[in-house]
Formats: sequence, structure tokens, C-alpha cells
Amino acid sequence: MKRLFPLFLALVLLCGCTAPPAKTEEAASRRYEATFLTLFDTVTTIVGYAETEADFSATAQALHDELLEYHQLYDIYNEYEGMNNLKTVNDHAGQAPVPVDRKIIDLLLFSKELYARTGGKVNIAMGSVLSLWHDARELGIEFPDQAALPDRDALEQAAAHTGIDSIQIDEENGTVFFTDPEVRLDVGAIAKGYAVQQVCGSAPAGLLISVGGNVCATGPKPESGQPWVVGIQSPAAPEEYLHTIYVENFSVVTSGDYQRYFTVDGVAYHHIIDPDTLYPADYWRSVTILCPDSGLADALSTALFTLPRQEGQALLDAFGAQAMWVQPDGSILYSPGFREYIRT
Amino acid sequence: MRNDKHTQPRLTLCRGDILAAALIFLAAVALLVYFGTGARGNAATVQVWQDGTLQGEYPLAVDREFVVAGRYHNTVQIQNGRVCILDADCPGQDCVKSGWHKDTGRSIVCLPNRLELRLVGGAAEPEIDGVTG
Repeated sequence: MKRLFPLFLALVLLCGCTAPPAKTEEAASRRYEATFLTLFDTVTTIVGYAETEADFSATAQALHDELLEYHQLYDIYNEYEGMNNLKTVNDHAGQAPVPVDRKIIDLLLFSKELYARTGGKVNIAMGSVLSLWHDARELGIEFPDQAALPDRDALEQAAAHTGIDSIQIDEENGTVFFTDPEVRLDVGAIAKGYAVQQVCGSAPAGLLISVGGNVCATGPKPESGQPWVVGIQSPAAPEEYLHTIYVENFSVVTSGDYQRYFTVDGVAYHHIIDPDTLYPADYWRSVTILCPDSGLADALSTALFTLPRQEGQALLDAFGAQAMWVQPDGSILYSPGFREYIRT
Repeated sequence: MRNDKHTQPRLTLCRGDILAAALIFLAAVALLVYFGTGARGNAATVQVWQDGTLQGEYPLAVDREFVVAGRYHNTVQIQNGRVCILDADCPGQDCVKSGWHKDTGRSIVCLPNRLELRLVGGAAEPEIDGVTG
């Protein structure tokens, strides 16, 4: 027996290190990936395992169709036939209550709650301010030589119509009404994450769903039980990762100054506008949030982007979330629990 | 455990020892192959998807440059096992800014031209499953 022990040990060692690759090769399920460019003006990727490509395609298509409904309901730029969406609300709720789908009511209630809990840093009633920035950005990207900042007076006038309480939600009748006819909704900081959360909540286990970097895992990889590996893109070099992290059954969302921006006189102006200054926040290059709820993660990434570290940490503590902040000089700060998830 | 009254040291190698040594050596080699090779995450092929359909596939081992037309034009360059969008006439230029890529599972996307360059092959499991940022 004593002589056989090293032999036994060697066998265990050998099995231990060859088993994982062998398992994935022999498994009945194969890995598949689907990409959609039709949702939320960004790239959606679904990764999963299935026995046949047809099985996986059916799963991915069902998720796409669910997300597409949210995309259309929460769109503030386009109308869709036979549907009252947020553009309909923005166009008409200043005159009379607009009947809407329950999915819109629920998003607005969730957003109002987050307004209260983030001290107003996530404000869906900021549409009038954000549309000035949106138009300036679109123009600046399309015609760089005509790029210009929005007019400061116009921003301040718009900011007078950003009261969250002027968004009146009648749950019983399923309607939305603006008590301030000049207020406009912009749900860009929250809707994508909220939609991902609603869809992930009822999605099959063992998928990794990413809607424009809003990444949600519905449990570990099915065959191996291993967690998913998610790369956190470097703001300075998009082909590099600052870290890779393990994700099993929660969401990861990043807000960054490099995602959407335009340039005026050599200065880049990004899309995350601080409600208090009406200009792009400049505390961080990016903020990555980890937390179980994708909608919350989305909102927190925006809120923390417009807050100094201590106030951000207070929000993380209140919501039980983790964060990684990238400072303008590229150095990185972590909330106390973030490091547990870091792989490399 | 057996009670062995002859306690003289045994220095000769028996068959089990050699077998054990061989197995440990094999284990080491397997470990090295599994974890040690840097090439594990490298893709073999780039797929060109436009409007949800596969337009073509190109090996990363062969350097080349080509243009994908549509609403806009993207110049794709494959060089030294990597791929990038060298140039584009789309607004925003996000595709050009996303730089060079070589890892299985990664994509370069031009939303305005409905184009996705998807890196595939080379490993059963890519090192990175998803990207945030």
C-alpha cells in the first residue's frame, strides 16, 4: 500500500488537471453565442450552452424578442405602431394622462425610488437638459467642424423643468401625466439595466447576457459549474482589460467617459451629465458596479460616476453593491469587497 | 500498514516508483500545456456578420485587407494574427477606436453599418466570456 501511494497521488494529480478540458470536449452541450445589433442602440450578446444550435437559437431569439419589447416601450426617440411608448408620453403627457403598458409604470416607479435613494443623482425627469446634450453630441459626431457645446442659458432654463414629482403615475388607471408640461423623460441611465434585469430574472439558468456592456449572468456555466469570466475594458485602451472578474449570478455594469462623447476644440465631452452642474461629471474615467440587480447596477454606475468616492461608497453600502473606480490618471480604487471577484 | 521486521533501507527503484515518476512527469506536461501556453485564448478565424447574416470567414493567419460595404464602409485589416477596422466612413468611429483584437469570443462592431467582426475558433472555451466597459 505504501508503495502504491505515490502512484495513486500521481494519478489523482493527473486526473485533476486533465479532466476539465476533457469534460468540455465530451460534453453533450456545446457553447454558442448570439449577437444582436437591434436593441438599445448597442451590441447585445448572449452566450450559453445547448445540445443543438437550433435549441440555443430559440433561447436567444426568445430573449431578444422580450428585450425588443422593452427597447420599443422605453424608446424616447422613435414611435412604434400600436404602442404608447416613452416618446408618446414625452409628446403628450404634458396635456393629458397617457395610458401606458405596465412595463412603463414599473420602470417609472423603480426610477422614482432610485431618485430618492441616490439623492437625485439618477433623475429620469432630466430629459430636457439631456436632449440639449444629445443634440449637441449627435451634431458634433456627424459634423466635427460644427461641434459646439449646448448654450448655458438654455441648459439652465431646461434645468428648471426637471422635478421628479411632476411625473405623476396613476397605477390604478395605468397612466402617466406631467404636471409640468415642460418636463421630459430620459431613462438612458436606467432603462437598459432595468430591462436586462426583467428578462434575466425569468431567463433559463446558465446564460451570460450582455446588452452594451450591461452584463448579467443567470448562474454559472452549466457543464462545468465554473463562473463566467468578464473583462473590464480599459478606458485608455479598449483592446485591453484592467481586470477580469468572476461572475456567477449577478450583474456587472460600467459607466465610462469614453463610451459616448463628442469633441469641441480638442476637449472631449461625454454623455454622463451631473444633475447638479448640468455638465459632464469629471470625477472618474469609469465606474464599474457589481450587484445582483442589473437595473440597480445601471443606476448606481451613473450615480457613482457623478459622486466623489466617499459619497459613492455610502450608496454602495446602502445597496449592498461593490464598485471599482478608475481615476483620471488611470489609477484604480476598489470598494472593500470588490477584490473577492477579481480573477486577474 | 504492514509490520516489516527487515528495516534495511531500500534504494533500488521498483516498477511502481518509475510509474509514479512517469505519471508525475506527464501531469507536469499536461499542466504546462493546459495553463502554460499563451496561445490558448487566440482566435483562428474572423467571421464577418452583417445584418445578422454571415458574409464571410477569414483565417487570422493570412494577412489581408478588405472593405465591407453597406450604409457605410469599413476597411478591415488582418495582420499578424490580429484584426482591426483600420478606417471607416461611419459617424462616431467607435469601430475604429476599438483597436486590434485577437482573442476568441471578442467582437468588433460598427453599429451604423450593422457590422460585427467576430473572433472564433482556436479554443473550446475562450478565456473571456463577456466584456463590460
